[in-house]
Amino acid sequence: YSQERSLQGMVTNAKTKEPLPGVGIKTKDGTKSSVTDAEGRFRIVISPNTKSLIISSIGYETKEVPVQQQGLLRIELVEQEQSLDEVVVVGYGTQTKRAVTGAVASISHEKFQDRSFSNVAQSLAGQLAGVNISQSQGAPGQSPNIRIRGTSSITAGTNPLYVVDGMPIENFNLNNINPQDIESVEVLKDASSAAIYGSRGANGVVLVTTKLGKAGTTHVGFNYEYGIQKVSRRIDLMDAQQYIQYYVDAHNNGWINSGEGRSASDPNSVRTKPFQIPEDFTDPVKRAALGTGTDWQDVMFRTAPSHQAQLSVSGGTEKTQFLFSGNYLDQEAVLDQNYLKRLTLRSNIRQQVSDRFAVGLNLGVTGVYDRTEGTEGKSDVISLGLQSAPIFPVYNENGNLGFKDPNSTWYRFAQYTDLQLWHPYSLTRELHKQNKSFNTLGNAFAEYTILDGLKFKTSINANLLNTRYEMFWNKDQKYGYSSALPAQGNANSRFMLNWLSENTLNYDKQFNDHGLAVLLGYTVQKQRDEYQALSAGNFPNNLVPTLNAGTVNGGTSLAYEWAMISYLGRVNYNYKNRYFLSAVLRRDGSSRFGANNRFGYFPSVSAGWVISDEQFFESVKAINNLKLRASYGATGNNQIPNYGPIGLLGASNYVYGSELATGLMLTNIPNPDLRWERTNMLNLGVDVAFLQDRFRLSAEFYHSVTNDLLLNVPVPDITGFATQLTNVGKLRNRGFEVNINSRNIDRDFKWSTDFNLSLNRNKVLQLGPGNAPLLYTDYVVQVKTEVGQPISNFFGYIYDGVYKNQAEIEASPARGDGFTKPGDPKIRDVDGDGRITEADRTIIGNNQPDFIVGLNNSFSFKGIELSFLFQGSFGGEITNQLVRFNGIWNAGRNAFAKVSNYWKSESDPGDGWHFKPTVDPKGYQERFSSYWVEDATFVRLKNIRISYALPQRWVSKTPAKGIRIFANAENVYLWSKYTNYDPENTTYQSTSYSNIFSNAVPSATSTVSVPSGAFLGVDYGSYPLPRVITFGAKIDF
Amino acid sequence: FLDLAPISNANQSNFYQTIEDFELAVNAAYATLYTFYGPTSAVSYFAEQLSDNATLYNVAGIQSDRWAFKDYNLKPSNTEVYRFWQECYKALYNVNIVLDKIGSAELNETYKTEVIAQMRFLRGLYYFNMVQMWGDIPLVSRPISVEESYATLRSPESEVHAFVVEDLAYAAANLPEPTAVTLAGKASKYAALTLLGKVYLALNQKDKAAESLLQVYGKFSLMPRYEALWGANVKNTAESIFEIQYQGGSPNLPFSRYWREYAPTENFVLTLYGGGMNQVTDDLYGEFEEGDPRREQTVSLGYTNKEGTFIPIKFQNKWVDKEAPAPSGEELSNNNFMVLRYADVLLMLSEATNDPRYLNEVRARVNLPLYGSDAYPSSQYNSLALAIEHERRVELALEFHRFFDLKRTDRAVAVVSKTKPIKNENQTVLPIPQIVIQQNPAITQNPAYQGL
Repeated sequence: YSQERSLQGMVTNAKTKEPLPGVGIKTKDGTKSSVTDAEGRFRIVISPNTKSLIISSIGYETKEVPVQQQGLLRIELVEQEQSLDEVVVVGYGTQTKRAVTGAVASISHEKFQDRSFSNVAQSLAGQLAGVNISQSQGAPGQSPNIRIRGTSSITAGTNPLYVVDGMPIENFNLNNINPQDIESVEVLKDASSAAIYGSRGANGVVLVTTKLGKAGTTHVGFNYEYGIQKVSRRIDLMDAQQYIQYYVDAHNNGWINSGEGRSASDPNSVRTKPFQIPEDFTDPVKRAALGTGTDWQDVMFRTAPSHQAQLSVSGGTEKTQFLFSGNYLDQEAVLDQNYLKRLTLRSNIRQQVSDRFAVGLNLGVTGVYDRTEGTEGKSDVISLGLQSAPIFPVYNENGNLGFKDPNSTWYRFAQYTDLQLWHPYSLTRELHKQNKSFNTLGNAFAEYTILDGLKFKTSINANLLNTRYEMFWNKDQKYGYSSALPAQGNANSRFMLNWLSENTLNYDKQFNDHGLAVLLGYTVQKQRDEYQALSAGNFPNNLVPTLNAGTVNGGTSLAYEWAMISYLGRVNYNYKNRYFLSAVLRRDGSSRFGANNRFGYFPSVSAGWVISDEQFFESVKAINNLKLRASYGATGNNQIPNYGPIGLLGASNYVYGSELATGLMLTNIPNPDLRWERTNMLNLGVDVAFLQDRFRLSAEFYHSVTNDLLLNVPVPDITGFATQLTNVGKLRNRGFEVNINSRNIDRDFKWSTDFNLSLNRNKVLQLGPGNAPLLYTDYVVQVKTEVGQPISNFFGYIYDGVYKNQAEIEASPARGDGFTKPGDPKIRDVDGDGRITEADRTIIGNNQPDFIVGLNNSFSFKGIELSFLFQGSFGGEITNQLVRFNGIWNAGRNAFAKVSNYWKSESDPGDGWHFKPTVDPKGYQERFSSYWVEDATFVRLKNIRISYALPQRWVSKTPAKGIRIFANAENVYLWSKYTNYDPENTTYQSTSYSNIFSNAVPSATSTVSVPSGAFLGVDYGSYPLPRVITFGAKIDF
Repeated sequence: FLDLAPISNANQSNFYQTIEDFELAVNAAYATLYTFYGPTSAVSYFAEQLSDNATLYNVAGIQSDRWAFKDYNLKPSNTEVYRFWQECYKALYNVNIVLDKIGSAELNETYKTEVIAQMRFLRGLYYFNMVQMWGDIPLVSRPISVEESYATLRSPESEVHAFVVEDLAYAAANLPEPTAVTLAGKASKYAALTLLGKVYLALNQKDKAAESLLQVYGKFSLMPRYEALWGANVKNTAESIFEIQYQGGSPNLPFSRYWREYAPTENFVLTLYGGGMNQVTDDLYGEFEEGDPRREQTVSLGYTNKEGTFIPIKFQNKWVDKEAPAPSGEELSNNNFMVLRYADVLLMLSEATNDPRYLNEVRARVNLPLYGSDAYPSSQYNSLALAIEHERRVELALEFHRFFDLKRTDRAVAVVSKTKPIKNENQTVLPIPQIVIQQNPAITQNPAYQGL
């Protein structure tokens, strides 16, 4: 060994001349290795027969350098021009982009760093072709609705499968992962890449990979962000004076219409109860005294601050790599009293025990405390605030909230039962709520290299989630909400344990020109959900909010389980790294499937050809990469109720005299044949790169057919049931996606553009018995799914404005119907039979957009970086279900300001669109029509980021290695004609049968008569997406 | 590992075998009475809202779909009508499944016969109401598959009636005497005979009606005072023949909702919320003779709100439970509901036999002049038929009889048109829900609702 000597060197970036840390240095024979430190320096011990060193680092071309006798070895590495050699994460492994033959969208952390969303999925919107991410609710941390390549199911779940560090979890809430801990997010879009996830792959797969330190020096990063959030786009509602006129006219119109000889000047004394008007509204002096009243949006919303701090330490040696991080987020919500506080801790470690044996552990712990309201529409606080009459003050003279306070002068209004004040504070301040959730996600693995190229890996993964929810409602809510609800309290808790044992065998070997990679695996997974709830009433006062102070009057506990056993296999073969072939087969058995169909097979094949590597292509200089891809395969959707095939018995008790007799009844029709939905998808793709990757384009076409749709088919009610869960039906999605990246200017000043466009066409090919359409109704809003049409068309009358006079009625199908008068709704006679009947209902819209686009422009110059992200959605419609409350007369609720342009008389016909209000509608006022449906097209300036890396000459005077300051703005501006807050708002979420994150009480039975996903695109009063501006600094040590 | 049985639910695979299983299933079948005869059930709307007894002011839900009843503005798309259809057939299913499963169960024959008789009583009761409400209806006599359901079209009224008579005759022959009914609320022989009498009356077979009803005559007695029939704790009196049992006080018990649902909306003094259903018309109030104690017992004139103002909305006074606790905002009331009572039997007997003496037993209880006496207001009710019509209206007011009675005597259009816009006989049945026809276009619509 005396002849061994130490060699020193330094590695820099060939272009920027900056030192490169973490670069691997190896002797050619592989016996010795080293890594560069933060200054790019390394030291390696070599023997005399070492002739050269291999220098390698991800993102750089590997270099072989001859050993020199003395002095510092200076090495420059060139950045890889070939995007094809980027590594992407795929199911159960990684691949170079070159070898990918399916459709995988990959997004690395640079694309979402500095973004202020606590949920990474929100930051991905607009950045991924073929992935429609829409933020249905603007409350902090809310998961967006994600639909990958359209909607592949009608009544089963449509959420993608989440795979976090290898662990597949259904309905995972990404808010539990700190986005700054995420290295990359990959979306598996086509069947060949998702088939490895078998019966769970049909809605696409989202792979989330957390960071791990690199060998080299330890890296310490600290950052802090301060943000402000504000509702920048309000709903334009009537003020008090407009509202009073509306109220008076609705009562007068109703009264005149209620019998002969009645007139608007009739006093209350001759009117029956429903037509009486408060004197405050008819006496001009008293009316004027009410002024413009209260804007309840001012009361509900506030400018809300947020703080976020993060400390992370990462690094390692050749043998050990680690990342430790802690992040604390304290975010107030724009809605009064609402907030989100989150602490995330992460520890990722990988240790090479010996040459052949490595172990590791990724552990993430998240605690979230939040209060989130206003997301359920309808009777939730935001919707109720919008409905509240503007005539009332925020506080009455007694400091109470409502006019139903009998000691207040405002009580004079209480006898008018059609005046509404659901004071926002009665829900936010008189009702106390808190969610606490604790999520632990861990995976421990061991990897053993049996032979050269043959590896065995086993892992144990677990996701443990505990949530607690507490609620206490003060007695009477200061007369704000109902004025009479007794004090009551609820407490519930949820527990979920999901564990997975995964065992894989990997063989990866190059035989001359032939590359072969084989994967075999066996996995077992099981989940148990538990739910407990207690409620109490009879609280003596509001002093003690815990349930001990009241009388417990209700309690329940429930538990559910599911389990899966899977076998998987994949063969990847390539010839000359130019021709690629891949085949996948997975066999899934699931407890959710019927006894007659317990196991299913999900195969796929795919191929790729890098044409640009062919000899004949060398002459084409402009194109440096051209690759064709094709794949075909099958995936499944298992998102059905846990006990879907089984006939469940539910309690239905009777009492004989005073003797309680428990009863049991069948709650659903059993179906032992129940199984997964099966989606077969063809994917064709091409990747082209011009001018040394200056301009890159990738385009995909796909065609997928989902068979055996799990339909909760409405069945004739004479069977005793409204629906039956069955595998019938077929639907098709096909679409086109294009992704363009262009480095427009690439000098000191850099300008690059990313553009993506996706379109999807969805068509139902077959439904249940007789192809009977599926109709789901909520209030009057009806969605219809029928053969030949996309899923969930809005189905109702076509509204054509108002009848301006009697002559117009006489000349129309409404003549002689006995109720249509001038100023009433004009409904189109669609079937042309000269009358308005239910047969005139037709398709009046669909929420699915014609196409969606994302456009990002980034600029950089001397440490300054600036980017703008635009997101657009074109051609969809949205149903504004708030029309029920704010668009038509509804028991004294406030209305949209535009409604005050209603028809008042022949000489004052208003805008011709809004019909005259009446308290006793006899015609089509309350029916679902195109009056409720609006254009959902929008363009949003989604994000602006600007950051500045302080020059080294300043930083070098500090202990830090790098300092970067940044500002980030989300939801900067929205271009949309939509009446309510946001055309992305939808009150109904994707269907999910096992979402324990929801606060809804889980149903003990599997019968869900209306899948909520059918109503995607129906807005029943949602949480606005606030504009969020954050300022922050990142300091690296 | 993959065979996971539900943890929080029983499942059907090993159910319907033992007597214990069948007891549970029978209890669930009885529990369907709660929806079938609930305060906002089809029977309630049909008997009272369509009649001149009741009206609605502000109500929750799709107001226009509820107002459509009092306004005779029903359409096939009415969501309430669809709810009724679903509730009715759901109730029938729970009865039919017991009948279907017990046939093949290896159990004691006596037990089986009694269960069958009880279930056939319930089924007869349900179908008799349904056939009056809709006319021709699909006749489902056992649990049917989805495929079979598409082939099950509307059976003519006559067939349904025959089916009802058969069920009730079996029930009458096999149900026990009241003394042998061990559990309050279970049907007795006389419940079946009373109902059978009512069916025969509706079929205009008065002799058969009389024959059935006479078997009940004398087996029960009128309570000495009309007021003694009512109250949250008055249950299963000597006058009660078939009564739905409730128990209030706890959300975990089957409490009753008549008090809350029939209280005026937003009253805040009677109940926390009021459903506003079946508010009493002035016309019903005026029907009572002066000095009839039943008027005060039946109708409240209004209530005094928190401010001390009297709000003159008339509402019922029969199912009152002011003591009911409301820990979560809903009164947990204790009031039972009588489906069949002896006064009804007496009035039907007069109708079946043309003999006013039964009618006079009812009038005697409330100390009103007997029919035939000089003091009887015969100028207003100048025939026995009209006297019975009047007496039934005041005696059984708001107990879900009025519109059925008027229909039976072909008087619905003539009487109701005085206060509500009913146009013709066709409107005395409900529409077949739109969605039923959309699902199975072979189902026909009732004439009044075609082309709407």
